[in-house]
Amino acid sequence: MDRRSFLAQNAMGIGSMALAWLLNEDHARANPGDAPRSLRQFDLSLKDPHFQPQANAMISLFMHGGPSHMDLLDPKPELQKRSGEDYSGDVKYSFVNRASKKLLGSPWKFSHQGECGTEVSELLPHIGSIADDICVIRSMHTGFNGHEVSIRYMHAGIPAITGRPTLGSWLVYGLGSETRELPAYMVLSDPGGHPVDGTHNWSSGWMPPLFQGTVLRAKEPRILNLDPPQRLRDGLQEQNLELLNFLNQRHLQQHAGEVDLEARIASYEMAANMQVAAKEALDISQETEATLRLYGIGQPETEEYGKRCLIARRLVERGVRFVQLFLGGQPWDNHNHIQKNLTSVCKRTDQPSAALVKDLKQRGLLETTLVHWGGEIGRLPVTENHGDPKTVGRDHNGQGFSTWLAGGGIRGGMTYGATDEFGHKAVENVVTPNDYQATILRQFGLDHSKLVYFHNGQEQHLTAGRPSQVISNILQRPPKPDAIASTHKP
Amino acid sequence: MNQTFACSRSRLVFIFAITLFPLGSTRAETPSETLTFEADIRPIFREHCFDCHGANNDFEGGLDLRQVRRQISGGDSGPAIVPGDAEDSLLIQRIRDHEMPPGSAKVSPEHTDMLIRWIERGAKTARPEPEEIPDGIGLTPEERSFWFFQPLTRPSPPSMDDPRIVNDIDRFVLARLREHQLDWSPEASRRTLAIRVAYDLTGLPPTRDSLEAFIKDDQPDAYTRWVNTLLDSPHYGERWGRHWLDTAGYADSEGFTNADQPRQWAYHYRDYVIRSMNADKPIDQFIVEQLAGDELVPPPHNNLDAEQIELLAATGFLRMAADGTGQGGVDEPLARNQTIADSLKIVSTSLMGLSFACAQCHDHRYDPILQEDYYRLRAIFEPALDAQAWKNPTQRRVSLYTDSDRTRAAEIESEAQAVAKEKGEKQKVYMAEALAKELEKYDEPLREQLKLAYETSAKDRTDEQKALLDKNPSVNISPGVLYQYNQAAADDLKTYDAKIAEIRGKKPPERFLRALVEPANSQPETQLFYRGDHRQPVRTVAPGEATVLYDEGQRADLEANNPDRSTSGRRLAWAKSLTSGRHPLFNRVFVNRIWMHHFGRGIVGTPSDFGNLGERPTHPELLDWLACELADQGWSLKHLHRLIVHSYTYRQQSQIDAKSAELDQDNQWLWRYPVRRLEAEIIRDKILTASGQLDPTFFGAAVSLKEDDTGQVVPTQDTRRSIYLQVRRSQPVAFLQAFDAPIMETNCDRRVHATVAPQSLMLLNSQFLLDQAKLMAERIAKDAEAQISDDQVPRIDSALQRIQSPWSYGFGKEEESGFSFEPFAHWTGSSWQGGEKLPDAKLGWCTLNAQGGHPDAELAVIRKWRAGVDGQLTIEGKLSHGSDQGNGVRGRIYSSRTGLLGEFVTHNQELATQVDTDVMAGEEIWFVVDSRGKQSFDSFRWPVTLENSNADLKWQSDSDFQGPGGSSIEKQVILAWWLAYQRAPEIDEFDHVTQWLKQQVKYDSQAKNPSSALQQALISLCQNLLGSNEFLYVE
Repeated sequence: MDRRSFLAQNAMGIGSMALAWLLNEDHARANPGDAPRSLRQFDLSLKDPHFQPQANAMISLFMHGGPSHMDLLDPKPELQKRSGEDYSGDVKYSFVNRASKKLLGSPWKFSHQGECGTEVSELLPHIGSIADDICVIRSMHTGFNGHEVSIRYMHAGIPAITGRPTLGSWLVYGLGSETRELPAYMVLSDPGGHPVDGTHNWSSGWMPPLFQGTVLRAKEPRILNLDPPQRLRDGLQEQNLELLNFLNQRHLQQHAGEVDLEARIASYEMAANMQVAAKEALDISQETEATLRLYGIGQPETEEYGKRCLIARRLVERGVRFVQLFLGGQPWDNHNHIQKNLTSVCKRTDQPSAALVKDLKQRGLLETTLVHWGGEIGRLPVTENHGDPKTVGRDHNGQGFSTWLAGGGIRGGMTYGATDEFGHKAVENVVTPNDYQATILRQFGLDHSKLVYFHNGQEQHLTAGRPSQVISNILQRPPKPDAIASTHKP
Repeated sequence: MNQTFACSRSRLVFIFAITLFPLGSTRAETPSETLTFEADIRPIFREHCFDCHGANNDFEGGLDLRQVRRQISGGDSGPAIVPGDAEDSLLIQRIRDHEMPPGSAKVSPEHTDMLIRWIERGAKTARPEPEEIPDGIGLTPEERSFWFFQPLTRPSPPSMDDPRIVNDIDRFVLARLREHQLDWSPEASRRTLAIRVAYDLTGLPPTRDSLEAFIKDDQPDAYTRWVNTLLDSPHYGERWGRHWLDTAGYADSEGFTNADQPRQWAYHYRDYVIRSMNADKPIDQFIVEQLAGDELVPPPHNNLDAEQIELLAATGFLRMAADGTGQGGVDEPLARNQTIADSLKIVSTSLMGLSFACAQCHDHRYDPILQEDYYRLRAIFEPALDAQAWKNPTQRRVSLYTDSDRTRAAEIESEAQAVAKEKGEKQKVYMAEALAKELEKYDEPLREQLKLAYETSAKDRTDEQKALLDKNPSVNISPGVLYQYNQAAADDLKTYDAKIAEIRGKKPPERFLRALVEPANSQPETQLFYRGDHRQPVRTVAPGEATVLYDEGQRADLEANNPDRSTSGRRLAWAKSLTSGRHPLFNRVFVNRIWMHHFGRGIVGTPSDFGNLGERPTHPELLDWLACELADQGWSLKHLHRLIVHSYTYRQQSQIDAKSAELDQDNQWLWRYPVRRLEAEIIRDKILTASGQLDPTFFGAAVSLKEDDTGQVVPTQDTRRSIYLQVRRSQPVAFLQAFDAPIMETNCDRRVHATVAPQSLMLLNSQFLLDQAKLMAERIAKDAEAQISDDQVPRIDSALQRIQSPWSYGFGKEEESGFSFEPFAHWTGSSWQGGEKLPDAKLGWCTLNAQGGHPDAELAVIRKWRAGVDGQLTIEGKLSHGSDQGNGVRGRIYSSRTGLLGEFVTHNQELATQVDTDVMAGEEIWFVVDSRGKQSFDSFRWPVTLENSNADLKWQSDSDFQGPGGSSIEKQVILAWWLAYQRAPEIDEFDHVTQWLKQQVKYDSQAKNPSSALQQALISLCQNLLGSNEFLYVE
């Protein structure tokens, strides 16, 4: 029996009651009023948002390590002019022994792009070409120079703290999943390994693992526990399922009407469905030559990242709520050899990142898919390694950095906020990770102050009760001032 | 992505409302003919309004709703109600307009209607209202009359006459069944019952021998003996200890902060619980020890004996709450109060079945628990859990060192200190060197200026010096960044740390208890906090029990200080009151939980909430009877188990009877025994038992966890029972979590049993299952021949016989009629031979391994291969002998059909041994190696490959080599069934599986030959059994 007929046969045998139970969808309770508090049931069924959403999916191209904003998205003429002079401001360093106060101008040129004229560095020509679709935020601020401290802040709402649910967990918790065949929250990891802070990056913290990011690994098995072991491929596992089905059906006959037994049989069917769906979603051979070219698939530098960006689009098309791409190691962490290393990571990611936005747009998906590009910190305007031109680099900077957003109701063709004249500190319209999170949730129709999870007897929010503001100015349809009560507690 | 967002707000509100304010079954559904404020309206106000308009003296808008007279006089906006005129009543208008109550939880339409009817009918009260009332919501006679607070008396069982009745439990149950026109199901089979009670009492399957013996045992007391054996098993304590650990919120980590510090010594409490269960420690004693064990051990706690250690370990119960105190970055007063609050929550839910925590901020919204009651409870614990004189988890550990241990440790510490001093001096030198080197980058006079600035202590530096250092940051060398300047120096300093650690490692290992020890003369005042905010104390309260347990106007305070003890004696006094024998809360709550674990559901379905929001008891008299019986029989829990598992109610079968199901689908009247999914730990333990891997070691430090490369948390050692795996709040074991093991926030009153696809994926594809299935397959291959007798095999499938491994290994002698062959009896794990050691008494040096082997002087070693199909066979091989001593070996290839095919003699060289021949199915090819008369230096290698060109099949003597795989497939199948299901396969199952095995072999395109495909199929069979419903559920 092949898988299809196995499934067909099973589907016939399952009562709708069992399926409802399996999906935890309003399963019949004699007395819903008696539902005790302690039995919180969590599920992935669709939940209504608080208000009309603009986005229903998000792809985050996470550029951890600290992309050098004054070399990429935030041109600083004053810094160029005074390159080599001593900087008069206070600087916090991570690497004291190589620290210096000499200003370092960008070796790269910026130019106006698109109709909007946003200035973008020559390192990012492809991102420059989508300038009219993106909103560059130039005033990101975590206040902390450390990678982990700021990464955790960006993902989970509080600096330095692990063990909290990440943005993707909150979205899935708040909205449920639009697909039953794929995990709602997926992480596309790099062949070079996990990013700094490893699995914390997609943790569901104290939420149930139902809301945790599922890693699509760069190597087999692509999804943990999803694929049968090599030994059982080519149809052997289908036959296994056939035996399992025999055993279970026989057992069920002796316990006719036992809903939980039926549900478990159905859950095996769903597992089999997931195997098929995931395989199909990852199969980019269905894409046209033009699409592959758009993403740079076929060119050695962009092949790998391009494939992952393309897969991200395919996942979102199939109802995945939140996809996040990471890079292995810290390619943006350019303490030294910034000339060479920054060029190389830009080559690797620029074209695929821009292609993703273009491709989503041409398919009409950009309207409802929010794309995020950015890291957890930026870099200092002063030089590291005493300005030795061979090894020069920049140290960490959590005081100001750039990120960009596109789609999902974000206004394209604009910049927002600013750093000081050297690019050291965000000074205008400062955006914290909590503001960023509140804004993302808003675009999904969720009020960050109302999206509550109970933990340790306390209400928990993604923004952790910290000051958080939706950045209305970057939204195509900003909320009316009274529509969002930023401190209201139910 | 075609999902549209139908934007109805109400659904989300509903979801969160359920989480926030679950609607209780107040009396809304059955309004009495005459509505009165006390009986009908007050519960609604209590739920929705009193927080702001009654509970505290700062009434919002000046409105106090606690009395009808006050409602009529109203607040700042005028009267709240106008008796007889609901339309004109402000209260109704505000509720209808959804202005009140604020927030998402609204008064339900039914309750609103009831309010309207009550007002329309004149807003009646049950009795005249007094002029003055004390602060707070207070208690009404209606609230005091709630069933749970009534005194506990032992009910007489209903007189019932039925031959099936075993004991009084059955009388109570049968009476209820009859009331509902239901009847018991037939009794379960002996096998089903034996397995059910084995999992119930020990969490492990019975052994096959014991089960078979029980089934055959026709003595009348057979079942009693079976139950006694299980209750006497030390695994009983592991099973029932786990239940209690859920209630206590056991965890091996502190939680609270995200660092989630491990609790290295929590396991002493876990082991205490297991030991107590196994000893059938009377429950009153068990509770007293956990609440006040420290009060029974006089200080100082320097040289503790075993009994004292036990008493102190017991108080670990009060140290289970998440505890973030003493960790960096926490709000310390908040963390302390949170820990105290969580501890009280564990105490109150586990021992009193009430959510006292809800009364922390104001009188309880649904139950007659006053805010003051909460703080009276807190006062009982305050001398030991004193937020003002707090010790963090490290400071409060109780060392198990004796005085002599301490002396020895101090000696060793002084050695370590000497090395530490040495390190300090060295570090100074390195720092100075690094500075000097860094300064070389600067010219004079800057160099000297920088040096001076650096060496001046920070507070004495001039502004100029500060500016200088600021401008040249790389001069600011500190020990923490020394590695950035001189890695070798930093490494060298590390070697000192290693030395110091090594010296300290010689100290006698110091073990600790995570205990609660009340300091002497601790008499802190307990404050009632305004709205639960620890920064706003209101007034002092005395220790005591809940007001509702006493008659109106009465209340018993506990003695605040027992002058005969160094401790206050508060907890001891309270624990004794709880366990005095007829405590209405404790006794009921405790036995209800025992019942729940036996039947999957309590007599009260909400084991930690017996209040208004909880469910009502299905069998209240039975609950009270059990609650008294436990105390009256010396608090023996095992006695209670015996009663329950002997009852007919427990012994029923679990099949669904359609007629009964129509009347009582949820089986609340117990017309059958439920089918229950096993708990996460039991599933894992059961898998390990089936695969033969379970390590039955008891007690000790928790088995640590690790994350595999995908972030799945797995135990570092996968063979211990699950109760011994570390319970890390932030790192739940993936397998256990998938099957709903609780993550301890505070404690777990009952488990959920979800059925979701990730569980199926875990069973299908996780490494744990794959590994265990393989181990189980190896086990059945090894043991089936010995454990399953021929007469148990229903039929032999000759096709399967043929697929089975064609190889066999033995020894023989050349005789006139040809060679004799006898299989080797001993398998070392890598070789077949006569016994564990060589030479063997009988078989001398005879041995065969994957590559070759060794003959004895008189005995040849023989590797046999049997052809499964006809064909053209090419046999290729290399016979080699690797010593220039001795006389070499002789290899011969025989066919059982045609005789000698080839002969090869080799001495210290390698020889190709090619033979081509026709074979017929069933024909055997023998590879015989003898010593040529002299056995010394006769190790040989002879890997051979056999290829059947007609059938495209290939065998290799080295990679096909295996240990005892010789058990017949039929017997392996039968043993697999036994290991997984504790029964033999039925004939239809047997036939289906043998067909399935053949099909697997046929479809396995990756296997190089049918026998390896068959081996794989047997692994798959084991895995299917482990993932099947019959394995995961108990009936």
